[in-house]
Amino acid sequence: MEIALIGNPNTGKTSLFNNLTGSYAYVGNWSGVTVEKKVGVFKNNIGHLIDLPGVYTLNPLSKDEGVVTSFFLNESVDRLLNILDASQLERNLHLTLQLLEFEKPALIGLNMIDVANKRGIHIDSSKLSEILGVPVVPVVARSGKGCDKLVDVIATKSMQPTKKNLVYYGKEVEEAVTTLTGELKGKTSHSARFLAIQYFEGNEYVKNYVNSIADTQKLNAIKANLELKLQKQYDSKSLANFIYLKRKEVIENIVAEVARKSNSIIPLSEKIDSIVTNRYLGMPIFLLLMYLMFMLTFDWLGTPLSDTLDALLTGPVTNGFETVLNAIHASAFIHALIIEGLIAGVGGVLVFVPQIFILFFFISLLEDSGYMARVALVMDRIMESVGLNGKAFIPMMIGFGCNVPGIMAARTIETPRERLLTILLTPLMSCSARLPVYALFVGAFFAGNKAFIVLSLYVLGIVVALILAKIFSTTILKSETSLFVIELPPYRLPQFQSLWRSTWDKGKGFVRKAGTFIFAGSVFIWLLSYAGPGGLNVDMDHSFLAKIGNVIAPIFAPIGFGTWQATASLITGFLAKEAIISTMNIIYFVPNDASLQGLLANYYTPLSAYSFMVFILLYIPCLATVATIYKETNSKKWTAFSMIYAFAIAYILSLIIYQGGKLFGWV
Amino acid sequence: MVASLKAGDKGKIIDISHVGNLVQRRLLDLGITEGSEVCVKCVMPFGGPIMIESCGQCVGIRRREAVQIEVERI
Repeated sequence: MEIALIGNPNTGKTSLFNNLTGSYAYVGNWSGVTVEKKVGVFKNNIGHLIDLPGVYTLNPLSKDEGVVTSFFLNESVDRLLNILDASQLERNLHLTLQLLEFEKPALIGLNMIDVANKRGIHIDSSKLSEILGVPVVPVVARSGKGCDKLVDVIATKSMQPTKKNLVYYGKEVEEAVTTLTGELKGKTSHSARFLAIQYFEGNEYVKNYVNSIADTQKLNAIKANLELKLQKQYDSKSLANFIYLKRKEVIENIVAEVARKSNSIIPLSEKIDSIVTNRYLGMPIFLLLMYLMFMLTFDWLGTPLSDTLDALLTGPVTNGFETVLNAIHASAFIHALIIEGLIAGVGGVLVFVPQIFILFFFISLLEDSGYMARVALVMDRIMESVGLNGKAFIPMMIGFGCNVPGIMAARTIETPRERLLTILLTPLMSCSARLPVYALFVGAFFAGNKAFIVLSLYVLGIVVALILAKIFSTTILKSETSLFVIELPPYRLPQFQSLWRSTWDKGKGFVRKAGTFIFAGSVFIWLLSYAGPGGLNVDMDHSFLAKIGNVIAPIFAPIGFGTWQATASLITGFLAKEAIISTMNIIYFVPNDASLQGLLANYYTPLSAYSFMVFILLYIPCLATVATIYKETNSKKWTAFSMIYAFAIAYILSLIIYQGGKLFGWV
Repeated sequence: MVASLKAGDKGKIIDISHVGNLVQRRLLDLGITEGSEVCVKCVMPFGGPIMIESCGQCVGIRRREAVQIEVERI
């Protein structure tokens, strides 16, 4: 049995999804966090639950919302599970009425009854069920209360809506619906009444669908005729508005019958909001939070953990492998492959797992608590001035964790131009895979002010993105339309379990990459460095890797790192940014206890190290990101553009920093 | 207009038709239209967005649109 979960944004849809399906998706507070279609298996195996993006209506404004409409038109589903926010019943019922017109078996999960009760709203769910003609089950999705009952109802009851035509749209509209239904008769398996009303409302997806099965001109004529009639008779602004008002009337009657209001308590949200979105305090509070996040990740908590892990890997783990290899009399080749290739390559990346998990934990915390939407509000003024939109800040924040979900999160931006711009600029956000490179270099060259140097790179990424946004939006991506209306969900105290699960969900990709991509890459790079034209086990400087690196290295000489080692690591860095570290660990491998950090001092100066980090920050996005950009823009031109401009900017900035620094006498 | 209200002021929307189509649609989705009561929660500095509350939910809109929404003070 296929069941689709649908509801307004921020109604706890994702929490309900997680509670019903044992498998975890993701919980966030930012409007429309569910940008992908997700399918879960019900805990008691009664079927599949399909998680749809949050929408206010079936008539979509953005691509994200279009997912829902095309799902309705093109895919089959057995049951609809509509989740409602009890504290916002009027608004939520607009969607419900449209869903019921679809005439598929449906049921309603009435969520946030606790929030509603606190606001003094009490809803009689059995009466609501009676009026709508479908089962209504009260739930608290965050705690899981009522979910068992919901599953029982899904599994047992028949849910064919018992009432048809809940909304009477007036004589004129109903007549036109009948005419249009006649045109569609026998040509579709969907409810013709649903199609007709959506068509009248101006739903583009439905319009394309009905035009493909019926005579476009006839349909057009019916709609135009109806519009004319309504304008004459009721002086209505538009057909869509007329339909909206009819629904609203019905909803007002329903709410009057089922909801009872009493005294409410002022929600805590408003008290917090008066501080964090305060005129003057908003921005400083945001910067302070970012600063705390970085200090915890790099200085206070992350670095000690990473150091411990590093000691464990280079000490006991390496020794253990040595013992085993000696015991089984492994050949010199295998011995070198495992110790110099795998442990150095994979281990060098694994060391940074604690820091990456801490960073992901904070990003999840910001999302789950509801602060992310406030950040969008606080940042909108700055973003607007460069031709972007406050909402673009959220993909960018997520991009700090990983650029791939960041770029995908840009789907919630309604206007295509702002969305494309956000996609192009999100790779400039310093993702967690770049972190190990910084961590290594700041450890070697800037031990005194680690967090500050790393923060400077993150800020540089943001500043470059903002400047480029301004340049792109006034040249190649010019347009006037911009849309910024953002819902600010109430604050929610994040639950530790869901925080941990979403941190793990994001972070496990990094661990998995270390086990697969980095593992294979390490073997490959090590082989290239072990073999050369002269045979196996050659001196590294005469290896294939050195030969390849030497060809390209002169290009990087003006920006401070024209060595074949740096070049080789940059090439592997395109596959995955953390591969830079694996490559360096293999290339600079020394059997005695000298650490990579100490060795680097022979190859870099602090200035060239900084130039190198800036280059890593900005140059070509990694393979996975490039693939995502192509998928999201569906344009080879823009994908190529995103790679070329990034490389150019990286080179120019590194050149300015290195040559400028030399002029000032820094080394 | 909404932009002339100060934080804490309340008003009733009397005309929203001058607002761009997209924004008008999105506000309608959120239940904010002619006849809705709104309360200004806070106003961001330097001509930034305005946070309004209507029927128990908070929504952020830009000043550009807030100027186009006519309200009567209540």
